[in-house]
Amino acid sequence: MHNELATIESNEQISSIYQQMVLSAPLIAKDCHPGQFINILPDPKWTHVMRRPMSIASQSNGKISIIYKVVGEGTSILNNLKPGDSLDIIGPLGNYWTDFDTDYPVLLAGGVGIAPILYLHDHLLIKKIPHHLIMGTRTKDEHFFKEKTNASIVLTTDDGSYGIRGSVINALDSIVSGKNSSVIFFACGPSPMLNAVNRFATDKNINCYLALETLMACGFGICQGCAIEITNNSAISQTYRNQYALVCADGPIFDGKDIPLC
Amino acid sequence: MLTIRIGNLTFASPVLTASGTFGYGDEVSDLVNVDLLGGIVTKSVTLHPREGNPPPRISETPFGMLNSIGLANVGVEKFCKEKLPKFKKMDTHVFVNIAGYAIGDYVETLERIEVEDSTISGYEINVSCPNVKKGGMQFGVDPKLTEQLTRALRDKTDKILILKLSPNVTKIEDIAQAAVAGGADMISAINTVVGMGIDIATRRPSLNTVFGGLSGPAIKPIALANIHKIYKSVSVPIIGIGGISSAKDAIEFMLAGADLVQVGTSNFINPAIGINIISELKSYCEKENIKSLHDIKGKLEYQ
Ligand SMILES: Cc1cc2nc3c(=O)[nH]c(=O)nc-3n(C[C@H](O)[C@H](O)[C@H](O)COP(=O)(O)OP(=O)(O)OC[C@H]3O[C@@H](n4cnc5c(N)ncnc54)[C@H](O)[C@@H]3O)c2cc1C
Ligand SMILES: Cc1cc2nc3c(=O)[nH]c(=O)nc-3n(C[C@H](O)[C@H](O)[C@H](O)COP(=O)(O)O)c2cc1C
Ligand code: FES
Repeated sequence: MHNELATIESNEQISSIYQQMVLSAPLIAKDCHPGQFINILPDPKWTHVMRRPMSIASQSNGKISIIYKVVGEGTSILNNLKPGDSLDIIGPLGNYWTDFDTDYPVLLAGGVGIAPILYLHDHLLIKKIPHHLIMGTRTKDEHFFKEKTNASIVLTTDDGSYGIRGSVINALDSIVSGKNSSVIFFACGPSPMLNAVNRFATDKNINCYLALETLMACGFGICQGCAIEITNNSAISQTYRNQYALVCADGPIFDGKDIPLC
Repeated sequence: MLTIRIGNLTFASPVLTASGTFGYGDEVSDLVNVDLLGGIVTKSVTLHPREGNPPPRISETPFGMLNSIGLANVGVEKFCKEKLPKFKKMDTHVFVNIAGYAIGDYVETLERIEVEDSTISGYEINVSCPNVKKGGMQFGVDPKLTEQLTRALRDKTDKILILKLSPNVTKIEDIAQAAVAGGADMISAINTVVGMGIDIATRRPSLNTVFGGLSGPAIKPIALANIHKIYKSVSVPIIGIGGISSAKDAIEFMLAGADLVQVGTSNFINPAIGINIISELKSYCEKENIKSLHDIKGKLEYQ
């Protein structure tokens, strides 16, 4: 874990509602893994008492990036930052995805949940691990995939304006049934989507790892504010907790089996 | 110049970190050299492990936050095995914060720690806990109970005993005097202020427990008033807590009557904030030609 004063390399709109910020942060870039996040101080004069957590969306050559949606004060400040400005960040935080060597990975991203999934996608490409990536947004103009889509990259839209109509779940059946070997899911997105992915995985007995979000005060296991209810304590690093896990320290990646379905 | 002597303890600086906002000092070791702090206060330790309250446990408020963590902690047994030995490597004062639900809980917890050969400097007693034997009324709202609790603990330790007071009382002076009568070496204040938040879209409270504890810069004026009242009523050393995020804040507490301060919620924005405040205090003393920060204790000027 480092507290680094990163330099902004670029900060651009990449689709109708998403921004990508590339940061030069050599210490964090050297240590981070797909699924981890950073905790951002949007402004040195920030008067809120909590930083703003963001998933790491890419890592290379001493640089990391984040992909974010402007939803409030913190993200508006980020949106106004310019190349050359500096940003106080703490990271890398949380656990990360592993186990992509045995089963066939299917990556699922909903909305801004694409950030950690893109990083995992890059990582698997570098390691030459074949996999599928399914990304869903509400409409066409929210998509930003520059890469030429190919058979293993599937895009969906809620309104059917691009790719497959419906949620990422609508794209899952054909992919999963077309595979002889067993598959494994890695997913990040809004709660209803994660719940649907988890349900699908449970029904078909597929391993599934979800990246969760909660409000966070400290970001590294001190305040105990980011607790979520869990059904199983395999996820927990400190054994006194059976009923709750900390998203920042025990997660943000959880085995779907530990997360209650709703 | 920043050195403060209290009893037989020497604090290299007057800035400590507050319970529940700095873990056990080891989690932050990547980011902060805890030896530069005047001391650290641990998360509250209870007799038995506690899972804590159901989520949501925190929410942001203007210049502050609400929490209802529910004293989630490993329990004294695991604390003695896993946390206590780590303090041996730290060259700063460590105070173990103890919470309980009956006087017996506090006493047993303290006795369990006393048995260990440890390097801790003392205990901070969190009296903002419901007393299950008295219908859930908090220890810290009743002077008699506060005195009884303090005396019971005083009998069991020669280490520094700090009573951490709650602002959610009618007359904090009475509680402070009761703590001193029971044998407290120091008073720290304040713990969080009762508060609540509401989400109008869902019409639900922002915390699962409905009521929670407000902390951060929003509570600084409340904390200052309480420190000044305590200063006016007891002569033991005082630790000021509540919304401190700069040397200026720390100096305000000292002028109101504090000897030392603790930094809480501000650690979440910057885990090194305590150390930053220490260097700012040093510059302040140099600039103002202050030989010892003790010289400004209670030097608030008014008729
Ligand atoms: C581990 C993790 C990874 C995340 N990754 C991304 C990402 O890659 N891209 C992205 O756009 N967003 C991500 N988020 C969500 C992001 O943190 C919030 O959108 C951001 O904090 C909003 O800040 P704001 O000041 O702009 O909005 P506010 O006005 O403060 O709040 C707007 C909304 O954001 C949520 N929020 C506010 N503060 C926090 C916080 N400290 N933690 C979590 N949620 C919060 C609130 O519930 C609220 O609904 C992530 C959150 C977590 C916990
Ligand atoms: C998340 C959180 C957890 C806390 N946990 C404890 C605790 O376990 N025991 C305790 O005595 N005080 C606890 N406190 C109170 C702080 O130690 C401090 O008294 C209070 O927050 C006011 O100071 P501040 O405004 O600087 O945070 C906690 C505060 C917060 C924000
Ligand atoms: S955010 Fe503080 S423990 Fe997770």
